[in-house]
Amino acid sequence: MIEAKEVYFSYSDGTVALKNIDMKIGPGDMIYITGPSGSGKTSLLKLFMGIEYPTKGILNVLGQPIVRGQASKIRQMRRMIGPVFQDFRLVMGRTAIENVMLGARFLNFAPKKLKENAANALVKVGLEKKMFSLVEHLSWGECQRVAIARAVIRQPKLILADEPTGNLDKDNALNIIELFASLKERDTTVIVTTHATHLIENIKEGKLIRIENGIICEERLG
Amino acid sequence: MKFLLNNVGYFFKEAKTTIKVNMMSNILSILSTGLILFFAAIILSCWWISSEAVEALQNEAEINVYYAEDMDEISIENMINTIEELYGVGEARLVSEDEAYKRMEEILGKEAKVLKYLDENPFNSFIELSINLEEMESVIESLRNIDGIDQIRDNREVLEKLRSITSLLETFGYIFIAAVGASTLIIVSHIIRAGIFDNREQIKTLRLLGAPEMFISAPFLIEGLILTISGGLLAIFMSAFSVKYIYTAVTGPLPFIPLPPLEPLIRNLIIMIISLSIAFGILGSSLGLWSARDKQTH
Ligand SMILES: Nc1ncnc2c1ncn2[C@@H]1O[C@H](COP(=O)(O)OP(=O)(O)OP(=O)(O)O)[C@@H](O)[C@H]1O
Ligand SMILES: [Mg+2]
Repeated sequence: MIEAKEVYFSYSDGTVALKNIDMKIGPGDMIYITGPSGSGKTSLLKLFMGIEYPTKGILNVLGQPIVRGQASKIRQMRRMIGPVFQDFRLVMGRTAIENVMLGARFLNFAPKKLKENAANALVKVGLEKKMFSLVEHLSWGECQRVAIARAVIRQPKLILADEPTGNLDKDNALNIIELFASLKERDTTVIVTTHATHLIENIKEGKLIRIENGIICEERLG
Repeated sequence: MKFLLNNVGYFFKEAKTTIKVNMMSNILSILSTGLILFFAAIILSCWWISSEAVEALQNEAEINVYYAEDMDEISIENMINTIEELYGVGEARLVSEDEAYKRMEEILGKEAKVLKYLDENPFNSFIELSINLEEMESVIESLRNIDGIDQIRDNREVLEKLRSITSLLETFGYIFIAAVGASTLIIVSHIIRAGIFDNREQIKTLRLLGAPEMFISAPFLIEGLILTISGGLLAIFMSAFSVKYIYTAVTGPLPFIPLPPLEPLIRNLIIMIISLSIAFGILGSSLGLWSARDKQTH
């Protein structure tokens, strides 16, 4: 699913964001990535999505090598990923359900099924009352849950969620984690970055990876 | 490609949203595209009309033979027979003074009253030959050798003039279509570029979600088509009215100009403008998409 061998990554301005990353993540795995602000969590997810390329080392995601010159293949690979961006990346001027549907419009679901699935996903994240609200009228936590619904509706092989519980209260956060955990049935791999210590302390299953200064400094099974 | 069919409604909605955001420039571009296409339509219909006229007149190539005034009826009869024997002559017919007068009356139409001021019929009788245009030279040559012929008049000059006008209009038409194409493409691609710029965040998100480039482009292609086809419809309305007006204006005082029937002309005009609009719409938005393509976001 994901295989990283001695991956290094620095931004074009010279900032070294990741150093010597080794990882092997399989189908159905639940991975929590934690670490202080600026430690490189988002950078790692960017590499997994092919938004940035490793400066050194080998990275394979869903069978696709993350290298320059394969933009259209990487674009295709992204269709198997359900991303939750740290800044959500919702489309303004559209309702919650339109945003959720937009995540899957080009994935060849039957049109009727698409709307049904979008509504179901919004119910699962607890937004049944906000389905037809414009996203600019939603609170941060609500926007975050729309972004999560948009990722889930794609029925992805891999969920890459950047701080998906950052703006949520404890109950809502646990609800989202449960939602992600339930995807294990379909062998969906879930990678979540988080600061929330109460989530990490209580993890029953999955694996915790702690990054500091771009280096993996702790790996622990839940 | 199924996703394209499944999302037709979404694409139109997106196109509508993009148009709404830049309502004013979209309306202006529809107006200017309409005007440009209107001018093209007018030039093209003038070309059609004149080429049809040349076509019609070509089959009506004629020579009028005026004979000496003191000739008697039998000599005239003989002359007609001799002329009809000539190679290339279809028919030779005597046009009497009265008939010549009546024809001029018809040609002048409303203005025919000027003829009333004349004391006597100013027209002479003559022999009218219908001939093949290609044989015009040789027929005239043979006519010169017949005794008793006073004057030979032919309509070659008129035909030549009409033909040169037609070819001028044709060249002009092509140049105009090229100019129309260029300016429409510039207008449309500029608007599309602006739309892409306004939607850059959304486009980036779609790329990150793995949307195919065709899915991202489709609304802009539709926007371009909406612009040019609306402009085209505007041009169709304006040119249909103008052509109708020209017809009524021309058929009154100049009834001898053979105009092609109005309905097929307008039908051709509609087909041509719509095809041009579609072609310019697709090309213009493709050009806009191409010029705004983003090498950074993949
Ligand atoms: N586009 C960029 N150009 C240059 N440096 C960057 C860029 N994006 C991030 N960085 C730097 O890379 C390092 C890692 O950033 P990253 O966003 O991965 O941290 P993070 O662990 O996600 O932090 P947070 O918990 O605050 O989201 C930081 O030092 C950051 O300043
Ligand atoms: Mg981050």
